[in-house]
Amino acid sequence: MTRQEIIQELKSILISADEKNRPLVEGCTEQTNLMDTFGFSSVGILYLVIAIEETFQIRFENTTVTDFETLGSVVDYIEAKLK
Amino acid sequence: MIQPSREAFRRFTDDETFERIRSFGTFQEMWASCLSAYPEQTAIEDNGVRYTYAALEDEAAAFRTVLAAGGAPKKVAVFGPNSFALVKTLIGAVTLGCTAAVLPAQLPDMAVLGCCMKFGVEALIYDPALKDRVQLAAQKLPGLRLIASDETAAEKTAMRPVRPEDPCLIMFTGGTTGKSKGALLSHRAVMEGTVNGCYGIPEIFGQRYLLILPLSHVFGMIRNLFTSLYTGSDLFICRNNKDMFRDAAMFRPTVLVAVPAIAELALTLSKKFGRMMLGADLKTIICGAAPVAPYLIAEYHKLGVELYPGYGLTESANLVSGNPENLTRPTSVGLPYPNQELRIVDGELWIRGANMMDGYVGEDNAAAYSDGWFKTGDLARFDDDGFLYITGRIKEIILLPNGENVSPAEVEAHFNALPFVQDSQLFEDVNALGQPILALEIVPRATELGGMQDPQKEMTEALQAVNRSLPTWQQAAKITIRDKDFDRTPSMKIARYQKCK
Repeated sequence: MTRQEIIQELKSILISADEKNRPLVEGCTEQTNLMDTFGFSSVGILYLVIAIEETFQIRFENTTVTDFETLGSVVDYIEAKLK
Repeated sequence: MIQPSREAFRRFTDDETFERIRSFGTFQEMWASCLSAYPEQTAIEDNGVRYTYAALEDEAAAFRTVLAAGGAPKKVAVFGPNSFALVKTLIGAVTLGCTAAVLPAQLPDMAVLGCCMKFGVEALIYDPALKDRVQLAAQKLPGLRLIASDETAAEKTAMRPVRPEDPCLIMFTGGTTGKSKGALLSHRAVMEGTVNGCYGIPEIFGQRYLLILPLSHVFGMIRNLFTSLYTGSDLFICRNNKDMFRDAAMFRPTVLVAVPAIAELALTLSKKFGRMMLGADLKTIICGAAPVAPYLIAEYHKLGVELYPGYGLTESANLVSGNPENLTRPTSVGLPYPNQELRIVDGELWIRGANMMDGYVGEDNAAAYSDGWFKTGDLARFDDDGFLYITGRIKEIILLPNGENVSPAEVEAHFNALPFVQDSQLFEDVNALGQPILALEIVPRATELGGMQDPQKEMTEALQAVNRSLPTWQQAAKITIRDKDFDRTPSMKIARYQKCK
């Protein structure tokens, strides 16, 4: 899976978490700060973690999305896990 | 006054199952009955290990020896995240005749100390992972025994009999005033809560439960753990909520006890991934601790799962009522369970009965009661068939300048009936002139927006139509569609705006 494909999947997850995220997601870059931009609730974070794990068939280890500052850092983590 | 009868639930269950539902006076009696009926069945699955009822009792009996060494304490606190060790130590303490205060695992060290002092506990049983947060209590209270939950003994100590009126558990609650308190629950109350949870559910014995709620919450402790044990069921402990769907796929629970936010999350994920994320065998969801949207009941029914709303309080050992007519009366919290009496005074629900607490520990209880009736703080009504409806909270009532009282929950229920409304909050705001007005905020349900040409416009029109259908004094002067969810409390309830209280 290329870095671009991972980003596209992540964007699709962010939109499925809440359709209202769509305009924000379209303007997202790897530098976008996820928590500042989307302000997830505890249930929202749980959704993201589970959806990412299911989509990429990976497991977060003692790490949650709140630990990742930017979209790019989540992509780095997923890339490393997929290798 | 309503005096519910167990017979009201007979028609929802087959006769054989109904007759098996019987009360016990104490946890000891119930546990002895379980050990005799289901010794070799699996009671608990945790961290890759299965424990039969007999094995759980063996571990509890060894822990009773640890506790009894040097004299059995009267009161203990148990402090740890959900685990087999927490279950074993809790059962060990209760069956030795101790009163167990169940402390939420997220408490900081100051609060642990405060609880030990306030509840007068003699021993603090802690999960070794939380060792750092019991040190302060150990320093400040030299007489406090510290016992790690993995301590055990070679010898076994027998259960000690207690009376139904003896104290069993101290459970945390926000209380009707919002301040954290410990509700003292007798064995009789705990057993009422345990057994009442069985009424109105078609298949209740020999089930598979997935535990995701904290055991420090009555909904987790009584409706989840104790009812699972009472019914000879198998309880799988989910250690981390993020693993709940992986656990569900493997364990395939038949029953889930959950708050609405989790039921909603599971539904959204199931739709996204095109499969039932809570496992292929799920038949029943027991849902409570916050208002349940009718949408959830209808959507789960389409997936072959019945979601039953219920109503309960920490002070009532959890369950007051449950709704077996979930499809035809989706906004009701159901029929009240037996062995309690209910009345509505000035709109507020008052309760007394075998399931009720014996007061908050170390608090002035005068304000909580009137003539022996516990005042729930919830606004309620009954329909002609005896089904209960919760219409709001007294403390959330908005008093308008014109003298009208508005119950936010009652108004929100009208908006929550729109499929695209996931959650809503009505509160008092001020307009540009500084005059108080009613304002409504809603969180849209993402899955319902796909079919709309112009979601913003369509939602606004539908919300305005509902608003216009309300009595003028209940209408919101300002309606906002939020971009984000509301802030949530640790139990995932909406954190209501302070100005609303």
